[in-house]
Amino acid sequence: MRIEVLEVLESHFGKNKDITAKSHLMDDLGGDEFDIVDVFVQIESKLGISIPEEETFDIMTVSALCEVVERHVGSD
Amino acid sequence: MLGQIKLVLFFLFLSSIGGAIWYVQHLQAENEILTLNNEKLNGAVEQQQALIQQQLRDIESKTAINQLLDENNAKLTADLNLANEKFNKVNASGDRRDIGNLALSKPKSIEKIERKRQTQRARCFEIAQGSPLTEEELNATKKSQINAECTNIANPNYTPY
Repeated sequence: MRIEVLEVLESHFGKNKDITAKSHLMDDLGGDEFDIVDVFVQIESKLGISIPEEETFDIMTVSALCEVVERHVGSD
Repeated sequence: MLGQIKLVLFFLFLSSIGGAIWYVQHLQAENEILTLNNEKLNGAVEQQQALIQQQLRDIESKTAINQLLDENNAKLTADLNLANEKFNKVNASGDRRDIGNLALSKPKSIEKIERKRQTQRARCFEIAQGSPLTEEELNATKKSQINAECTNIANPNYTPY
Protein backbone atom coordinates (compact mmCIF):
# COMPACT_ATOMS: atom_id res chain seq x y z
CA MET A 1 0.00 0.00 0.00
CA ARG A 2 1.31 3.43 -0.94
CA ILE A 3 2.57 5.19 2.19
CA GLU A 4 0.77 8.44 1.36
CA VAL A 5 -2.56 6.61 1.15
CA LEU A 6 -1.94 4.94 4.49
CA GLU A 7 -1.01 8.30 6.03
CA VAL A 8 -4.22 9.87 4.80
CA LEU A 9 -6.29 6.92 6.04
CA GLU A 10 -4.59 6.95 9.45
CA SER A 11 -4.94 10.69 9.76
CA HIS A 12 -8.62 10.47 8.82
CA PHE A 13 -9.79 7.36 10.63
CA GLY A 14 -7.22 7.19 13.45
CA LYS A 15 -3.90 5.43 13.98
CA ASN A 16 -5.53 2.96 16.32
CA LYS A 17 -7.41 1.39 13.41
CA ASP A 18 -5.94 -1.73 11.89
CA ILE A 19 -5.74 -0.63 8.28
CA THR A 20 -4.99 -3.37 5.76
CA ALA A 21 -5.65 -3.77 2.05
CA LYS A 22 -8.75 -5.77 2.89
CA SER A 23 -10.18 -3.15 5.24
CA HIS A 24 -13.64 -1.94 4.35
CA LEU A 25 -13.80 1.83 4.53
CA MET A 26 -17.24 1.79 6.15
CA ASP A 27 -17.56 -1.55 7.91
CA ASP A 28 -14.00 -1.78 9.29
CA LEU A 29 -12.86 1.82 9.49
CA GLY A 30 -16.24 3.28 10.48
CA GLY A 31 -16.46 5.88 7.73
CA ASP A 32 -19.48 6.98 5.75
CA GLU A 33 -19.86 7.92 2.10
CA PHE A 34 -18.79 11.51 2.79
CA ASP A 35 -15.62 10.24 4.51
CA ILE A 36 -14.69 8.29 1.38
CA VAL A 37 -15.07 11.40 -0.78
CA ASP A 38 -13.08 13.37 1.80
CA VAL A 39 -10.30 10.76 1.74
CA PHE A 40 -10.08 10.97 -2.05
CA VAL A 41 -9.85 14.76 -1.89
CA GLN A 42 -7.04 14.50 0.68
CA ILE A 43 -5.16 11.86 -1.36
CA GLU A 44 -5.46 13.95 -4.52
CA SER A 45 -4.12 16.95 -2.67
CA LYS A 46 -1.26 15.00 -1.06
CA LEU A 47 -0.16 13.30 -4.28
CA GLY A 48 -0.96 16.17 -6.60
CA ILE A 49 -3.18 14.03 -8.80
CA SER A 50 -6.72 14.25 -10.07
CA ILE A 51 -8.98 11.21 -10.15
CA PRO A 52 -12.18 11.39 -12.21
CA GLU A 53 -15.16 11.13 -9.86
CA GLU A 54 -16.75 8.31 -11.84
CA GLU A 55 -13.80 6.11 -10.93
CA THR A 56 -14.26 6.70 -7.22
CA PHE A 57 -17.93 5.75 -7.10
CA ASP A 58 -18.61 2.57 -5.14
CA ILE A 59 -15.05 2.26 -3.86
CA MET A 60 -15.44 0.54 -0.52
CA THR A 61 -12.16 -1.17 0.30
CA VAL A 62 -8.62 0.08 0.85
CA SER A 63 -7.33 -2.18 -1.92
CA ALA A 64 -9.83 -0.77 -4.44
CA LEU A 65 -8.89 2.73 -3.34
CA CYS A 66 -5.19 1.98 -3.77
CA GLU A 67 -5.81 0.53 -7.23
CA VAL A 68 -7.54 3.68 -8.40
CA VAL A 69 -4.82 5.89 -6.91
CA GLU A 70 -2.04 3.80 -8.47
CA ARG A 71 -3.63 4.16 -11.91
CA HIS A 72 -3.32 7.94 -11.67
CA VAL A 73 0.02 8.37 -9.94
CA GLY A 74 2.54 9.24 -12.60
CA SER A 75 -0.07 9.40 -15.32
CA ASP A 76 -1.19 12.92 -14.33
CA MET B 1 -114.69 76.38 64.06
CA LEU B 2 -114.68 72.72 64.95
CA GLY B 3 -115.95 71.95 61.48
CA GLN B 4 -113.02 73.85 59.99
CA ILE B 5 -110.53 71.97 62.15
CA LYS B 6 -112.13 68.68 61.14
CA LEU B 7 -111.88 69.72 57.51
CA VAL B 8 -108.20 70.64 57.90
CA LEU B 9 -107.52 67.37 59.72
CA PHE B 10 -109.43 65.52 57.00
CA PHE B 11 -107.28 67.16 54.30
CA LEU B 12 -104.15 66.46 56.35
CA PHE B 13 -105.26 62.83 56.64
CA LEU B 14 -105.96 62.68 52.91
CA SER B 15 -102.57 64.26 52.16
CA SER B 16 -100.87 61.76 54.44
CA ILE B 17 -102.65 58.87 52.74
CA GLY B 18 -101.77 60.32 49.30
CA GLY B 19 -98.17 60.85 50.38
CA ALA B 20 -97.95 57.35 51.76
CA ILE B 21 -99.42 55.90 48.56
CA TRP B 22 -97.02 57.99 46.45
CA TYR B 23 -94.09 56.93 48.67
CA VAL B 24 -95.00 53.26 48.43
CA GLN B 25 -95.48 53.48 44.64
CA HIS B 26 -92.16 55.28 44.36
CA LEU B 27 -90.49 52.59 46.45
CA GLN B 28 -92.10 49.88 44.33
CA ALA B 29 -90.88 51.58 41.13
CA GLU B 30 -87.40 51.93 42.58
CA ASN B 31 -87.53 48.35 43.73
CA GLU B 32 -88.49 47.20 40.23
CA ILE B 33 -85.59 49.19 38.76
CA LEU B 34 -83.23 47.77 41.36
CA THR B 35 -84.51 44.26 40.67
CA LEU B 36 -83.95 44.78 36.95
CA ASN B 37 -80.47 46.18 37.61
CA ASN B 38 -79.73 43.26 39.88
CA GLU B 39 -80.81 40.82 37.17
CA LYS B 40 -78.60 42.65 34.69
CA LEU B 41 -75.69 42.52 37.14
CA ASN B 42 -76.30 38.81 37.74
CA GLY B 43 -76.30 38.28 33.98
CA ALA B 44 -73.06 40.24 33.70
CA VAL B 45 -71.51 38.22 36.53
CA GLU B 46 -72.52 34.99 34.79
CA GLN B 47 -71.04 36.29 31.53
CA GLN B 48 -67.82 37.22 33.32
CA GLN B 49 -67.66 33.81 34.98
CA ALA B 50 -68.21 32.12 31.61
CA LEU B 51 -65.49 34.34 30.15
CA ILE B 52 -63.10 33.48 32.98
CA GLN B 53 -63.83 29.77 32.48
CA GLN B 54 -63.19 30.17 28.74
CA GLN B 55 -59.93 31.98 29.47
CA LEU B 56 -58.89 29.20 31.85
CA ARG B 57 -59.66 26.63 29.13
CA ASP B 58 -57.67 28.75 26.63
CA ILE B 59 -54.73 28.90 29.05
CA GLU B 60 -54.87 25.11 29.47
CA SER B 61 -54.94 24.65 25.68
CA LYS B 62 -52.06 27.09 25.25
CA THR B 63 -50.06 25.31 27.95
CA ALA B 64 -50.69 21.96 26.23
CA ILE B 65 -49.69 23.44 22.86
CA ASN B 66 -46.57 24.97 24.42
CA GLN B 67 -45.61 21.63 25.90
CA LEU B 68 -46.09 19.97 22.51
CA LEU B 69 -44.02 22.68 20.85
CA ASP B 70 -41.31 22.27 23.48
CA GLU B 71 -41.25 18.51 22.90
CA ASN B 72 -41.14 18.95 19.11
CA ASN B 73 -38.47 21.59 19.50
CA ALA B 74 -36.37 19.22 21.60
CA LYS B 75 -36.74 16.49 18.95
CA LEU B 76 -35.87 18.91 16.15
CA THR B 77 -32.88 20.20 18.10
CA ALA B 78 -31.70 16.60 18.58
CA ASP B 79 -32.17 15.93 14.85
CA LEU B 80 -30.36 19.15 14.03
CA ASN B 81 -27.47 18.19 16.29
CA LEU B 82 -27.37 14.79 14.62
CA ALA B 83 -27.42 16.41 11.16
CA ASN B 84 -24.71 18.85 12.23
CA GLU B 85 -22.68 15.95 13.52
CA LYS B 86 -23.11 14.16 10.18
CA PHE B 87 -22.34 17.18 8.06
CA ASN B 88 -19.59 18.61 10.20
CA LYS B 89 -18.03 15.37 11.41
CA VAL B 90 -14.60 15.74 12.95
CA ASN B 91 -12.00 13.21 11.76
CA ALA B 92 -9.29 11.53 13.83
CA SER B 93 -6.92 14.47 13.27
CA GLY B 94 -9.50 16.92 14.58
CA ASP B 95 -10.31 18.41 11.19
CA ARG B 96 -13.95 19.28 10.73
CA ARG B 97 -15.34 18.11 7.42
CA ASP B 98 -17.07 20.66 5.27
CA ILE B 99 -19.71 19.18 2.99
CA GLY B 100 -19.87 22.47 1.07
CA ASN B 101 -16.19 22.27 0.19
CA LEU B 102 -16.49 18.58 -0.64
CA ALA B 103 -19.41 19.38 -2.94
CA LEU B 104 -17.26 21.95 -4.71
CA SER B 105 -14.39 19.49 -5.15
CA LYS B 106 -16.48 16.42 -5.96
CA PRO B 107 -19.97 17.56 -7.02
CA LYS B 108 -20.96 14.31 -8.75
CA SER B 109 -19.98 12.17 -5.77
CA ILE B 110 -21.88 14.36 -3.29
CA GLU B 111 -24.89 14.41 -5.62
CA LYS B 112 -24.80 10.61 -5.84
CA ILE B 113 -24.61 10.29 -2.06
CA GLU B 114 -27.47 12.75 -1.62
CA ARG B 115 -29.62 10.86 -4.15
CA LYS B 116 -28.99 7.67 -2.21
CA ARG B 117 -29.85 9.42 1.06
CA GLN B 118 -33.01 10.82 -0.51
CA THR B 119 -34.12 7.32 -1.45
CA GLN B 120 -33.32 6.19 2.09
CA ARG B 121 -35.36 9.08 3.55
CA ALA B 122 -38.34 8.10 1.38
CA ARG B 123 -38.02 4.55 2.69
CA CYS B 124 -37.93 5.92 6.25
CA PHE B 125 -41.34 7.56 5.65
CA GLU B 126 -42.71 4.30 4.26
CA ILE B 127 -41.51 2.40 7.32
CA ALA B 128 -42.87 5.08 9.64
CA GLN B 129 -46.24 4.70 7.94
CA GLY B 130 -46.32 0.97 8.56
CA SER B 131 -44.47 -0.62 5.66
CA PRO B 132 -42.94 -3.95 6.79
CA LEU B 133 -39.16 -4.27 6.85
CA THR B 134 -37.52 -6.21 4.04
CA GLU B 135 -35.19 -9.18 4.62
CA GLU B 136 -32.29 -6.99 3.57
CA GLU B 137 -33.20 -4.35 6.15
CA LEU B 138 -33.72 -6.92 8.88
CA ASN B 139 -30.41 -8.66 8.14
CA ALA B 140 -28.36 -5.47 7.92
CA THR B 141 -25.64 -5.64 10.56
CA LYS B 142 -22.86 -3.72 8.80
CA LYS B 143 -22.57 0.01 8.33
CA SER B 144 -22.47 -0.33 4.55
CA GLN B 145 -25.83 -2.17 4.63
CA ILE B 146 -27.89 0.16 6.78
CA ASN B 147 -30.30 2.96 6.02
CA ALA B 148 -28.21 5.85 7.35
CA GLU B 149 -31.23 8.15 7.60
CA CYS B 150 -33.29 6.16 10.12
CA THR B 151 -31.21 3.25 11.31
CA ASN B 152 -33.22 2.92 14.52
CA ILE B 153 -36.41 1.99 12.72
CA ALA B 154 -35.04 0.51 9.49
CA ASN B 155 -32.32 -1.80 10.79
CA PRO B 156 -33.24 -3.19 14.21
CA ASN B 157 -30.41 -5.74 14.14
CA TYR B 158 -27.68 -3.20 13.50
CA THR B 159 -25.48 -2.30 16.45
CA PRO B 160 -23.33 0.80 15.92
CA TYR B 161 -19.65 0.10 16.36
